[in-house]
This record gives sequence, C-alpha cells and structure tokens, in this order.
Amino acid sequence: MLRIERVSHAYGSIDSLRDVTLDLEPGEILCLLGPSGCGKTTLLRIIAGLETEYDGAVLFDGEDIGPVAAHQRGFGLMFQDFALFPHLSTGENIAYGLKRLGLRRQEIGEKVQSLLKRVGLEQFEERDVASLSGGQKQRVALARSLAPNPRLLMLDEPLGSLDAQLRDQLALELRQIIKSAGLSAIYVTHDHREAYAVADRIAVMNIGSVRQHGSPRQVYRRPSCAFVARFLGLKNVYSTSDGRMTGLLSLAGGENWSTGSSILIHPAGIRLEGGCSNDAISAEVTLEAAIFRGESYDLTAATVSGLRLSFALGELPVSIGGKLKVYIMPGAIIPLDA
Amino acid sequence: MMRRARELWIAVFLLPLAFLGLFYVYPLLSIFDVSLRPAGFLDLSAFVRLLSSDYYIGTLLFTVYQAALSTAVTLLLATPCAFVFARYQFRGKTLLLSLATLPFVLPTVVVALAFATLLGVNGLLNDLLTTMSSLEYQPIQLERSLAMIIIAHVFYNFAVALRIMTSYWSSLGFRVEEAARCLGADELSLWRDIRLPLIRPAMLSAGLLVFIFSFTSFGVILILGGIRFATLEVQIYYQAVNMFNLPLAAALSLVQILSMLFMMMLYTSTQKRLQLALDSSAAVAKRPRTLLERLCLSLCVALMAILLFSPLLALVLRSILVAGQLDFANFASLVEKSRGSLLFIAPIEAIFNSLRFALIAMFTALCLGLIASYMIERRGRLSRLLDPLFMLPLATSAVTLGFGFIIALDEPPLNLRASWLIIPISHALVALPFVIRSVLPSLRAIPPSLREAAQTLGAKPIDSLLTIELPLLGRGLAVGAIFAFTVSMGEFGASLFVAQRESVTIPVVIYRLLGDPGFASYRQSLAMSVLLMLVCAGGFVIIERLRIAGVGEF
Repeated sequence: MLRIERVSHAYGSIDSLRDVTLDLEPGEILCLLGPSGCGKTTLLRIIAGLETEYDGAVLFDGEDIGPVAAHQRGFGLMFQDFALFPHLSTGENIAYGLKRLGLRRQEIGEKVQSLLKRVGLEQFEERDVASLSGGQKQRVALARSLAPNPRLLMLDEPLGSLDAQLRDQLALELRQIIKSAGLSAIYVTHDHREAYAVADRIAVMNIGSVRQHGSPRQVYRRPSCAFVARFLGLKNVYSTSDGRMTGLLSLAGGENWSTGSSILIHPAGIRLEGGCSNDAISAEVTLEAAIFRGESYDLTAATVSGLRLSFALGELPVSIGGKLKVYIMPGAIIPLDA
Repeated sequence: MMRRARELWIAVFLLPLAFLGLFYVYPLLSIFDVSLRPAGFLDLSAFVRLLSSDYYIGTLLFTVYQAALSTAVTLLLATPCAFVFARYQFRGKTLLLSLATLPFVLPTVVVALAFATLLGVNGLLNDLLTTMSSLEYQPIQLERSLAMIIIAHVFYNFAVALRIMTSYWSSLGFRVEEAARCLGADELSLWRDIRLPLIRPAMLSAGLLVFIFSFTSFGVILILGGIRFATLEVQIYYQAVNMFNLPLAAALSLVQILSMLFMMMLYTSTQKRLQLALDSSAAVAKRPRTLLERLCLSLCVALMAILLFSPLLALVLRSILVAGQLDFANFASLVEKSRGSLLFIAPIEAIFNSLRFALIAMFTALCLGLIASYMIERRGRLSRLLDPLFMLPLATSAVTLGFGFIIALDEPPLNLRASWLIIPISHALVALPFVIRSVLPSLRAIPPSLREAAQTLGAKPIDSLLTIELPLLGRGLAVGAIFAFTVSMGEFGASLFVAQRESVTIPVVIYRLLGDPGFASYRQSLAMSVLLMLVCAGGFVIIERLRIAGVGEF
C-alpha cells in the first residue's frame, strides 16, 4: 500500500536519512523504532508531506505522492506534543478535520460524539483543551487524527510525554483502537516495550537507515546487529575476537563464527537446566551481582575465562559470590553484523 | 498551480520590504544626496558652513548639553525610586509602575502644553501662588527656559529609566547585599560599594535610552523652548521650512542620522550585557517596616505623583474650568474656525483627519507588520538581518523622516507631497516597529506543530492562517493595532513637515493654535489636547490590560 523507495534526506550537511526502503501492508501497524536523532520522525514528516526536500520516492497505492501537498494527502498525523489547538474546545479540535472535508454540521456533531465515545471522553466535548490531563490530551489528539478517516495514520511518539505507568496500558489501547478502525498505521517510538505492544512489524533505525525489520518476536529473538541487540536492551554482546569467547565458541561448534563481527548470547537462552536438548552448553559461573526487579532477578555472572553473562531468573539460586552451573541453549548464540 | 501560489507568496513577502525601501531608505538616501550633492555634484559647502559657524556648532553642543542634563536629572530621580520599587512590596505598586509608563504614549504637543498650563507665566501654579499670597508678580518664571525643557524631558523619560532599572534590580536580588551587611558594610558603603556598581549596567542602558530620546526630542523643545533653544531637530525644521535652506537642513539631518546610528549601536551593546544578568534568581520584595523605609517609599510615590500627574491634571483643569466654573465651552469652540487664524479649517475637522489617518495607518502597519513578523520568524540568515532592518524607523527621528519625505517624494513618479496619503504613510512607517514588536512574541509562541497538524487535517495554508494562526495572534495583533493607532494620533514631527493646509492633524493644529495670539485659539488647543490625551490614555489602558495577560516585547 505504502512504499518508501530509497529515500534520503539531509539537514544541511548532516544526513538524516540514507537510502531508506520500507513497505507497509494494508491494515498493518509498522513501528519505527530507534534512538532520538535516528531519522524516524523525519521519515514520518516526509510521508506526511511536511518535509518536501528529499531524494527517492514515496508511493501510495503505486502512485508517487511527492507532488501532493500535505493537506491533500488524507493522512492523519498525531504529534508528539499533541499540537492541540489551544483556542478551540475539545469538540472543535476533533471537528477541525471534518470541517475541512465540508461535511454537514449535524454529521460533524454525530461523528465528534462517536469519536469522543470511542476514546472515552464523552463528557469533555465543551472542555477547554488546556484543562485536560496528559492522558486526556493524548486521546483528543488521537480522536482528532482519526476523525477524517485517514488513509494512513501516523503517530509520532504518541506516549512520549506521558509517565511510564500510563504508557503500557495506553499502548495496548491504541493498538486496539487502530485495529478496530481497520487502519494502516506507522508508529514512531524510541521505547522497545511500547513497540512490542503496538506493532505488527518493527523497523529498527539508527543514524538514518533501517538496520532490521521484522515482527517484534523476530527482532527480539534474532537481532541482526550489535546496535539492534543493544538498543533492545540485550546485554551479552561480545566481539568475535574477544579471547574469553574462544572456549565457549569451540563448544558450540558447527558454525563459522567469524562471519559476524560480534556475538550475542541471548539472555533468554541462558537457563539453570539444559532440559531435553543435548546441544546446550553448560558453563560454571560465579554470581557477581543481582538486581531485584520484583518478578525476577537480573543477574551478572562470570565464567572461568572471565566472560560476563547477564540473564534473568525468577529466584536467586545462590548468594553473591556463589558458584552455579548455567546452560546456554542452542540458538542462543547469535552472530551479529557490525 | 503550486508554482503560482509560491510566486504570490513571494510577492506578498516583498510588500513590507518595498514599503520600507520606498518610504524609508529612499527618503534617507535623498537626504544624503541633497546634503552631499545639492546641485548634482559633490559639494560640501553646506558642511563647511555648518562646521565653521559658531551658531551651528552651538546648536550641536546645546543638543548634547540638554540631553545630558535631562539624562542626569532623570537618573538622579529614577535610581532611588527604582531601588524602592525593586526592594519593597506595597499596595498599588503594579498599578503605579504601569501608570508611570503613560507619558510614553502621550503626544509631545500635549505634554508641552500640559507643562505650559502648569508652570507657565499664566499657569495654574502661578495662579495658585498669587491668589494664596497676594503677590503682585508671578513667582514662577520658567516659560521659554531650559529648566522647563528639562522638566518635560524628565516627565517623559522617568518611567523608561524606572522600568529598566527596577526589573534589573529585581532580577539581581538582594542576597549580595545581605552578604555585604554580614561582612560589616554600613548603609553608605552599601550604596557606594555594592548597589551602585551592581546597577551600573542598567543605569548605563537606561541613561543611553533617555539620552537618545532627549537628543531627538522635537515637539517639547519647539513649543517650550522656541528658536532660542534650538536643538538639531528644531534647527532642521527651521532651516527646511522657514529658511528653505534644504542643503543645510540635509547636512544637519545627516549629522543627526549618524549620531543616532552611533548611539543606537552603543545602546544595543549595553542591552546585550543586561540580558546576561536577567536569568539569575528573582528578588523577593518585602514590606516596608521601619519609619525610614516608609518615609522613603512615601517620598518616591509623592515624587512620581507630582511629576507625572500634576501637569496632566493642570491641563484637564484648565480645559474644563472657565473662571473657576465647570464649563465645556472650550470643547464646544472646536467647531468654530476662528477668524484671522493661521488655520484653514475648523479644529473639529482636524479631529476627523486624525481619526481617518490613524485608521489607515493602523491598517497599513498591521498588514505590513504581520507579513514582516512572518518573514522574521522564518529564521535563517536573512531573517536575522530583517529584524533590525524593520526597527530602523524607530531609531530615526520623526523630523528626519518628515524632511526626507518632502525632499524625496515631491516629483513624479512618486509625487505624494500634495496628497494627504503621505501622512498615513509616514505614520504607518513610524508605527511598523511597534506592530512587529507586539506581534512577533505571539507568533513565536505558536508551535510549528499546530500549523502542521492543521495541514495534515486537510487545511490549506490559507485555512490554517485564518483558523489557527490569526486567532492565536489575536491579542498581539490587538496590542499592535492600538499601538499603531495611538502612535498615529499623536505623531507630530513628521506630520508637521508633510501635512498640508486641509490635511492637518490634531497635534499639528494644537501647535498652530499655540502660535496664534488669540484667546480663542488657546481654548481650542486646550480642548484638543485633552481629547488627544484621552484617546492615547485609553489606548494605553487597553494595551496594559492585554499585556498583563502576557504579550509584548517592550
């Protein structure tokens, strides 16, 4: 449906996007995930038509929409700061796009009511937007961008300014509202947890290019490069030339590890029991540190060769300084690109 | 189609620049031309005459002297008051500070007349003193004296100095002072070693501004001083209008322009230093407790009340009291055109003129100011140049502008000299910086995402301008509009040059009436001054009201 073809963009002499190619299927929620300054918002603005100086092409249903002005694209964009119109009431904010469509007054009124209901703000139609809480503003902004039935919905860090507790719950709600409206959406965030909760597919970006894309599970289970692994919060990323790795890798055998420049030992694949798999590698480690996280412990342990492994366990098996045996499951050792 | 729209926008954006080029740069260049090449070739004889004549050197020296004196007296009175305002919290403080700014918007003719009615030979104070003490002569002889001029300048500039120093002092806080006190400083050494050195940047900045205003003062000196006390401004006017010596007037203008340029540069550099200090912790004003503190506070308030309001009160009283009785005959006389008067129209017609011109000037300045604000706000290398460029009319004396108009715009294709249009145009030029300074903060406060949000919701650029940006600019535009209106109503220097017989404005008529010997003319000038004062004070009140809610860069 939407195709971004080899798009590049620069702010002055600084490249903000380099040769980005992406696809969006109808009804899909694609997450652009990356640290600030990686170009994800710029890409969103290019798709929205707010940024017009770029190389490459943006195709919608096979048609290059480069020459189409932002107000003619029929795409919805939800801004990070919500960009609610401060001189208009909640209802008027939502009605703004509907008025541009030239709908009848009554029709607009009904639509605004149903949208307010959908985001759970029925009583707020007349309210001044300045008097709304952060979460309420976010809902109004969502309702406003949904109102004109956009062909594509874009959300730029829609939960960025809210506190962490609200985020998890609202991320799920957002997904449900987008899905129930049957919309295709692009969702920009720097928070991988939010991306997991909302996205059908994730594109991880860094310094202007897409480093990996796939389903949340794929990206988490098999990150393609050291940046992605680290950005998703995965520790245990080592250089292939790291001497302390050689013993472990010779045990793992099979693959030619030197193809990648580094190696991830996925924390999810480090367990206390080898289970029924005979290929699991066992290692003697000394527990160095433990952080209590509530539902689990984040542990750091060192192998005999001095390699530090991080992983999580439900219970603390030994006290700090104690020795234990861990199993590294087959497939938990993942070669990474630079 | 997009391309045509783009061309249209560029054309719109060029409007303010064209206006500035045609009605500011071109007249100024004409002054250069007339002063340096009066007969079409380089001829510096006007300058030689200027510099070799004790008379004109005297004019220049007097201009500097009276400005320096005005500055010194203003600072002497305003510094202690600023200290009291920054230091103490008392009831009515905000109101008083805001009222003290009123003179700033009052037309010079009104102020000059107000001081004449208070301190003149037949002024209110002399009347009061003679009736009370049954003196045979009038004890106050200030008419046509330097003292009168200085007093009027202090009246004008007191609030400017007070505001700058009060806000600076408040931002400095008093913690340093407390530290010095703990280290054993007494009151005297506090002033000498701590307070005055600390406030010096603000004093310098305020002093320069007061000096600039006094240096370019025109109406006050023309009316209260006369030719005996001619400053550069007054001399330019005399040479151009009474002597028709255009090369000499142009040479004087050139001196004026260059001095202004130099002083504005100095002022800008002092301002930069001020802004650095403004981030530091805010002061906590306290209530006056000791007898001494209360006495100081009372003295300051009394000084301000007497200085700022007694002349205005005298003007109002003189206009509504006829032989001790309340009588509005003065106002009724405005419809009459007195016989043998220098005026060609009845004063009431000048009121209509002023209103008409003010509305046109306001509309013009508002449109151009809005466009110019958008140009400045776009940021980038060009806009950084645009901001000071559009402020230039503010840094140019009204007399220079008026003089430039009559020598530049008097021949085809731009022969506006005989047209009344030249008046609202000159007013719009003077008002433009005020509009920009009022609109720009509101414009900068609009996040770009609002415009973009409107776009993604299907709003064309013009839709977003009308439905989002203009409503959000409302307050700034209103302040700018009222500024433009009051500036136009009170504008004197340029109008005196460009106004024709039938197109005279209120301030010009007041000035002409003052030159008329008859009693009828005096009565009319009083009535007109009061009306003009009310219009400007009304505008001022609305601006202050709107501004309390938070806009404006002044």
